[in-house]
Amino acid sequence: MNGDAAKPKVLVVDDEMQIRRLLCFTLEDAGYEVCEADTGHAGLAEVVHSHPDAIILDLGLPDMNGVEVLKRLREWSTTPVLILSVFGQEGSKIAGLDAGADDYLTKPFAGGELLARLRALLRRTKPAEVGSVIQFGAIVMDLERRRVTKGGQVVKLTAKEYALLRLLVSHRDKVLTHRQILNDLWGPKAERQTHYLRVFMMRLRRKLEEEPDAPKYFQTESGIGYRLVSDGS
Amino acid sequence: MTVAGSFAPFTYHALGHVYLLVVIALCLRVGRGPVLFAAIVSAVVWNYVFIPPHLSFSVLDFDDALLLGIYFVVALTAGQLTARIRSQQREEQQREQRATALFHLTRAMAGARTLDEAVDAALRQADELFSARTAALLAGEKGGLAAHPAGSFHLRDKERRVAEWVWRNGREAGRFTEVSATAAGLHLPMLRAGVCLGVFAVCLPPEAALTTTEQRELLEGFAAQIALLVEREQLRAAGEREKLLAESNRLHRTLLDSVSHELRTPLAVLRSAAENLGGDDGARRASLVAEIRMATSRLDHLVANLLDQTRLESGAVQPQPDWCDVRDLISAARRGLGEALAGRPLKTEIPDDMPLFMADAPLMEHVLANLLLNGVRHTPAGSPLTITAGLDDGSGRVFIAVADRGPGIPAEMREHVFHKFCRGSEARAGGLGLGLSIVRGFVLAQGGEVVADDNPGGGARFTVYLPHMLHGTVPNE
Repeated sequence: MNGDAAKPKVLVVDDEMQIRRLLCFTLEDAGYEVCEADTGHAGLAEVVHSHPDAIILDLGLPDMNGVEVLKRLREWSTTPVLILSVFGQEGSKIAGLDAGADDYLTKPFAGGELLARLRALLRRTKPAEVGSVIQFGAIVMDLERRRVTKGGQVVKLTAKEYALLRLLVSHRDKVLTHRQILNDLWGPKAERQTHYLRVFMMRLRRKLEEEPDAPKYFQTESGIGYRLVSDGS
Repeated sequence: MTVAGSFAPFTYHALGHVYLLVVIALCLRVGRGPVLFAAIVSAVVWNYVFIPPHLSFSVLDFDDALLLGIYFVVALTAGQLTARIRSQQREEQQREQRATALFHLTRAMAGARTLDEAVDAALRQADELFSARTAALLAGEKGGLAAHPAGSFHLRDKERRVAEWVWRNGREAGRFTEVSATAAGLHLPMLRAGVCLGVFAVCLPPEAALTTTEQRELLEGFAAQIALLVEREQLRAAGEREKLLAESNRLHRTLLDSVSHELRTPLAVLRSAAENLGGDDGARRASLVAEIRMATSRLDHLVANLLDQTRLESGAVQPQPDWCDVRDLISAARRGLGEALAGRPLKTEIPDDMPLFMADAPLMEHVLANLLLNGVRHTPAGSPLTITAGLDDGSGRVFIAVADRGPGIPAEMREHVFHKFCRGSEARAGGLGLGLSIVRGFVLAQGGEVVADDNPGGGARFTVYLPHMLHGTVPNE
């Protein structure tokens, strides 16, 4: 099907030609194969036609709303999607994430940021890491033995704290919306109880971060949710 | 012997002169009728008592008849003259009364600071002067006729219709006039340059009568005075509007000037850096790229501020409050600022028991980022910034304060810095002066407050206050 099977393929759906062209440069330099579409319909057709490994989707398309494109796509495809949006559209970002997008970026963004997000998205499609050990900074999480250490010292976590950490780790470097986390940990009835999340996140940071007030790993996405940044840059 | 007999030393002629004197003296006191009556009575008495034969009417000889004739002519003329003088006197008095009333009215109105107060004063004066109930109806902005609340005469159905008629036609109507004479009140138009600005309605006591034209003229004078006042107020309001318009034009010009400057500078940098990159052999590459990055971040910040301000002004900012942890907000704001905070020690002082509070996280992130950036802009490079947060004991609100060690803000500027397009006099190039105005807009939109004051120990401090409420319990597991 594809000559160079090792190269992951990324579909860029954006109506601005200049943005597409510059994204192409960035992505091709990083070793991706790129295909483009300038409308929602053309994007959906391109997904069918070229089976991309990931999709970069602008929310402001001329023919249809980006969220609408996502909804249609999710009826038959699980290809990871990164949405592009601008400040002040928190509502549409959340709608996009709820409609099945895997992450978002706010324009204007840096190329490095884009590539980091894309790497995280493509990792999801790899086989699940059950039983493996995950490390970020001085923190080591042994999923099989349910044990967390920081600089070699065992950190005592309650069951909920562990569940929260585990959820974040399994989606590391990707954003998790408040709703997703609350739903996963406390069930659908707690979807709006963001204060649970604030309190538990504070506890987790105090136990694991060097500077809980300036967290390196457990980062807040204002108005959206949280992200565990595994490389702590 | 009669009483007259004792006057024997005088001739009856001399007595006739005394009578004449009395009649003339009477002229000074009473009207023309009584004088004539007194003249006739005295003539008869004179004839009957004094002209011989005494105590009987006698036929007059030529001398006596002549005296009597002169006697009447003098009495009549004198009576006529004094009556005229007296009526002039009365007119003079009334004119003076009217002038005094109008003078009091003008003085009362001049002392008033607003149109409302002035109309109130005018109506009180009118009530007292005419011992009547009065009302002023002014043409409203929406086109209707609205009764001034200070009026003591409350117009109902019929009176109201009469007033409306007066207003439309600019002619008087009601009691004492030819139109709707059965109405209880007299309705006078307030005319200025042919335009009817309202209606002055007077309800005189039922027994009162508008006998003299003076009274009516005085009423008309009142109506004219109030009309003058209303017109002056309208002119003043128009002037005010003109001033506002000029101010808004000035703001637009400032905006256009500074926006075009602020936009063009980074664009010029981008353009020339791109051109240089094209012809560059590699030596300056890194510094040109750095220039491009700086210009883009400047543009980014500028556009973000312009959009925020526009969103605020168009009412598009609708906060979505949710539970916030101040540490989250601070770290997100720091992350968003990135390189702008490079080289700045930033200390945060947050108590362990800092409560969660309801706020819109993205808006608060912008508020904090703008306050930090403001601190960076107005303080020397490398000087520290501090963020403190906590629960304000006095007001029970949550506060977040961003403080610096810069030159501080003079007390008289502290309110002004939150106005848009206000830039510190020592501000370095860059910036539109929108940052703090956006801070205030976003904070107000969330039901909070932001104040600027001195940072104890030197520098400026901006404190954001937000309402504090308790959240529900959090399950332990």
